[in-house]
Amino acid sequence: MRRAAKIYFPFINAGMQEVATYRVNWIFYILGNVMSCFVSYFIWKAVYSSGGGENLEGFTLPDMIVYIFLMFLTSTIIGSDASYVVGEEVRDGSIVMRLIKPVSYNGTFLFQELGNKLLTEIMLLVPLVVGVEAVRAALMGGIQFNPLSFLIYLVSCVLAYLINFFFNICFGFLAFVVKYLWGANLMKACVVGFLSGTIIPLAFLPKPLEAVFLLLPFASLNYTPVMIYIGRYSGLTLLYYLGLQLFWALAFWGLSKFLWRVSVKHLTVQGG
Amino acid sequence: MIDVKNLRKEFKKTIKEPGLKGSFKSLFKPQTKRVVAVDDISFEVPKGEILGFIGPNGAGKSTVIKMLTGILTPTSGKCEINGKNPTENRKSYVREIGVVFGQRTQLWWDLPLRETYSVLKEIYEVPDDRFKSRMSFLNEVLELDDFITSPVRTLSLGQRMRADIAASLLHSPKVLFLDEPTIGLDVVVKENIRNAIEHINKQEKTTVILTTHDLADIEALSNRIVMIDKGRNVFDGTVSELKTKYGQIRELHFETEERNAAQALCYEKLFGGNIGGLTLEQEGKAVKARFDSSVVPVSEMLAYTLSRINVTDISVRDADIEEIIRRLYQQGVSE
Repeated sequence: MRRAAKIYFPFINAGMQEVATYRVNWIFYILGNVMSCFVSYFIWKAVYSSGGGENLEGFTLPDMIVYIFLMFLTSTIIGSDASYVVGEEVRDGSIVMRLIKPVSYNGTFLFQELGNKLLTEIMLLVPLVVGVEAVRAALMGGIQFNPLSFLIYLVSCVLAYLINFFFNICFGFLAFVVKYLWGANLMKACVVGFLSGTIIPLAFLPKPLEAVFLLLPFASLNYTPVMIYIGRYSGLTLLYYLGLQLFWALAFWGLSKFLWRVSVKHLTVQGG
Repeated sequence: MIDVKNLRKEFKKTIKEPGLKGSFKSLFKPQTKRVVAVDDISFEVPKGEILGFIGPNGAGKSTVIKMLTGILTPTSGKCEINGKNPTENRKSYVREIGVVFGQRTQLWWDLPLRETYSVLKEIYEVPDDRFKSRMSFLNEVLELDDFITSPVRTLSLGQRMRADIAASLLHSPKVLFLDEPTIGLDVVVKENIRNAIEHINKQEKTTVILTTHDLADIEALSNRIVMIDKGRNVFDGTVSELKTKYGQIRELHFETEERNAAQALCYEKLFGGNIGGLTLEQEGKAVKARFDSSVVPVSEMLAYTLSRINVTDISVRDADIEEIIRRLYQQGVSE
């Protein structure tokens, strides 16, 4: 364990330095996310004011606004670029440089991204949470912050990140077959956005569909943490959804190991 | 040490018909074709040898190196290094080897160079004192001091290559694979790198496998050459063996007043049907005739030439290794 920490710590460090080196890129990335968050805010405002009623499937406009901002916060915490990075490395062949080192392929990606995340989280988590809570307090009247829910939310986010990371790694291995993932990545972003409740709350869907979607791994990504944060899951329900998250994290971890073993045999290195 | 037997690698390749129509076709119904990149290659390398691995572009050199380093899985055949199969247990195998791909880098692009070495120190579990002495040794041989604190992305190609070679040697590997380590470098840096490789090979008995297009690398470094072409082994032996086997090529240089020496000389008569390798170039007065001295001996060639036309300043030269290899590449050797 200590040895593993020693080996992978430099990767965390390198991930942090990457953020620091490409600061402007990072700022644009965050700004882009903030903007798309406001776009959904205005869309939902229009939907509610066009007279769909005060209450859509148990969501009032203030609920919806909080939901949108929490989705944004959660996406920032659990986002993973792994499929993009794996896809690029396969495309330009630089994956060979990872293969000639005595380290786990998935491990190097995970820790490099963790370093990246760590720096993002340190700088953004507090201001974002304060921002979300301020909006919440203004809309609902009075401070709604629940430290316990918040802690469980963080745990749930860690699980969600692991699911997201290993899912993305699995997806990235597709590049071994199709060679270039740009198109597939766009499609994935769209499908995952819908299935994970980022675009509309899963509660808005027809009940049978909602039940199915809640079982899928994508609900475990954004929807579960957000539901925990706003206190819609509690007691046994809460434990059930955390358990489901854990299950999916382990499943994708296993799948990524398996796919790695299969696909590395089919590796053809592009570009000499 | 290194034992390669009947190694073979096939790839599936998608073929696209030309034009937009072809693109559409291949989008819906891609046609694939089997391409044999490496076909039945065998060789052995004893410990401490520097093996030059040469062949024209696309001959399959890099594919062989990638199989030997455990990156690609062979379709069939065997390769064994230190008794280990590279693809079977990658993590433990790559501890014993160092690899440099001249066209890529293993250095951390955004970090100061020094950080790469400390990362590698942890990855390969090099003890502190060993790391220190190793770094000062590599510093001395490859002169890293000037740029060790600069971020890797700011290094020049020559610096980067030296840094990459140092990175591959940090853990004192038993085998060093160098895939075009001098590509794109100037003469001075090439010389430095050759010296460093030689030094390390002598001092530590590191086995080195080197692919290159620069034959000066081969002449300076390797005792032995394996040449492949179109995925097949075409020559395996020492540099001097290569010269005697294919080196019967001589060049006859002379000056003449004759406007069209080729016509006047008509060497075809002398060589009969066997004119393989015969070329004649004329530039003003100067004429250069290249011929195979195993077909027509030098003395006969001289006598014949002198009898046909008036010449001044005549000389016969050996073809250098570069010339031999150029000829081999062009003809596509078959055994």
